[in-house]
Amino acid sequence: MLDWLQFILAPQVINGLSIGVAVVLMALGLTIIFGLLDVINMAHGEFYALGAYLGYALIASGVSFWFALVFVPLLMVPIGYATERLLIRRVFHSKERHILTLLLTFGLAILLEDGLKLAFGANPLKPEQPISGASEIIGLYFPNYRLFLMAVGVLIIVAVWLTVYRTSLGAMVRAAAFDRHMAASLGVRVSHVYAGTFAFGVALAGISGVLLAPIYSVFPTMGKDFVLIAFSVVIIGGMGSIKGAVLAGLILTQIQAVSSLYISPVWTDPLLFGIMVLVLMVRPQGLFGRLGHG
Amino acid sequence: MLRLENVHTHYGLSHVLQGVSLTVEEGEVVGLFGRNGVGKTTVMKTIAGWVRPTSGSIELGGESIAGMASDDICRRGIGFVPEDRRIFPGLSVEENLKLGLLQCPRRPARESREKLERIYQRFPRLKERRNQMGTTLSGGEQQMLAMARVLVGAPKLLLIDEPTEGLAPMIVDEIFSIIGGLREEGVPILLVEQNVHRAVEVSTRFYALERGLIILEGKASSAADRKALMESIAV
Repeated sequence: MLDWLQFILAPQVINGLSIGVAVVLMALGLTIIFGLLDVINMAHGEFYALGAYLGYALIASGVSFWFALVFVPLLMVPIGYATERLLIRRVFHSKERHILTLLLTFGLAILLEDGLKLAFGANPLKPEQPISGASEIIGLYFPNYRLFLMAVGVLIIVAVWLTVYRTSLGAMVRAAAFDRHMAASLGVRVSHVYAGTFAFGVALAGISGVLLAPIYSVFPTMGKDFVLIAFSVVIIGGMGSIKGAVLAGLILTQIQAVSSLYISPVWTDPLLFGIMVLVLMVRPQGLFGRLGHG
Repeated sequence: MLRLENVHTHYGLSHVLQGVSLTVEEGEVVGLFGRNGVGKTTVMKTIAGWVRPTSGSIELGGESIAGMASDDICRRGIGFVPEDRRIFPGLSVEENLKLGLLQCPRRPARESREKLERIYQRFPRLKERRNQMGTTLSGGEQQMLAMARVLVGAPKLLLIDEPTEGLAPMIVDEIFSIIGGLREEGVPILLVEQNVHRAVEVSTRFYALERGLIILEGKASSAADRKALMESIAV
């Protein structure tokens, strides 16, 4: 029994956690953008890929992984900001906003994916592991890079949480998410908050790309499967809920990790979507409430 | 100070304001009265920039503000206390108040702190509940919070829409005494209120609105004007 815990369950749990943290980063970006702007960003997976490629290109040009890890999200901020102000803003006030922003970001996803194919080719690229070796925990060896990924991911999640719930900037964002007219009438520059939030969500996708590139390879469609999991996490956790994204992200990836001990890994994704369908049937609004709504 | 000239506002196809002209001068409390659905709230929302006027001019201190974004209008000095209070859920009383400080950006932290303290002196009950969620306050306290978070930024002019709606009589007295206090201080106010008798008492001047048009203007000090007002809005 102890052996089973130590050698079979524990590695699954820890590997699941490292993927879980990355999924939460993606889901956070998606859910914050939805919670504030009411926009479903279909290009989120491609922004993730763009981040991975930017990181890859920067490292290939000679800078260190650590520099890329900090610089890529900084590069993604103006890209996200411009996307909101130049594209999404144009259809934002339309009555057909939901369908238009969905189509717009879907088109952007296709453009980004093909742009990446043109620039870097369709073949997977494999960046070097920035941290090699493994560390012993409870008598087992875990790759150091995965441990690092978890630590950074948790730090970012905590920082996002504190920013949204403990700072005046966060209060502005929550106020604008709930009632943009009232927030504006108190002086909140709502249009900047919108663009800034979109940029922030996109930067989160970008940093996830850089972080995960050394584990999975870098290829133009790398965001597709990953964003599907992030989408189900957001739907189960509650569209626009930060708490929901964090909890659902961690729990669902654990369910996937542990269930793969008993069922073929082929079935772990259907299991996830099955849970999503069940949640939608029982609690269509998801487990938690939307950003700014209490 | 505030001047509306022939303002028209549409909601889609419905023509809500059909040429409203009114003024609010320094030190005045101006009542805007009328039956339900005649466009009083739309006048307020149009001034505050929540809806754009389709034509006409709105000037604050000689500067045109028609069609400006609400946050720019706020920064020009118009404080809007809308109908239904619109307190943000999930934000504490103090967070709600601090949002109001955004009207005057780049103030030193000490000055903001002092402003907050002054507001707490005026509304001691909000100070007691500063860490409570804004939406857990009673209706009257929420109304005070809605007014306080606008007043904290020291606006040049206030728009107050239905401040006593749904409140207990004792709280209604309190709200009117706050408005009376603001009048003493010389803060110009445009006030929409169902409780016309009480509202006229704190007003200096008033207008009656009927189907998107001003049909009457009068002085609160004139008994004849008051009589005409009551007749014009009587059901």
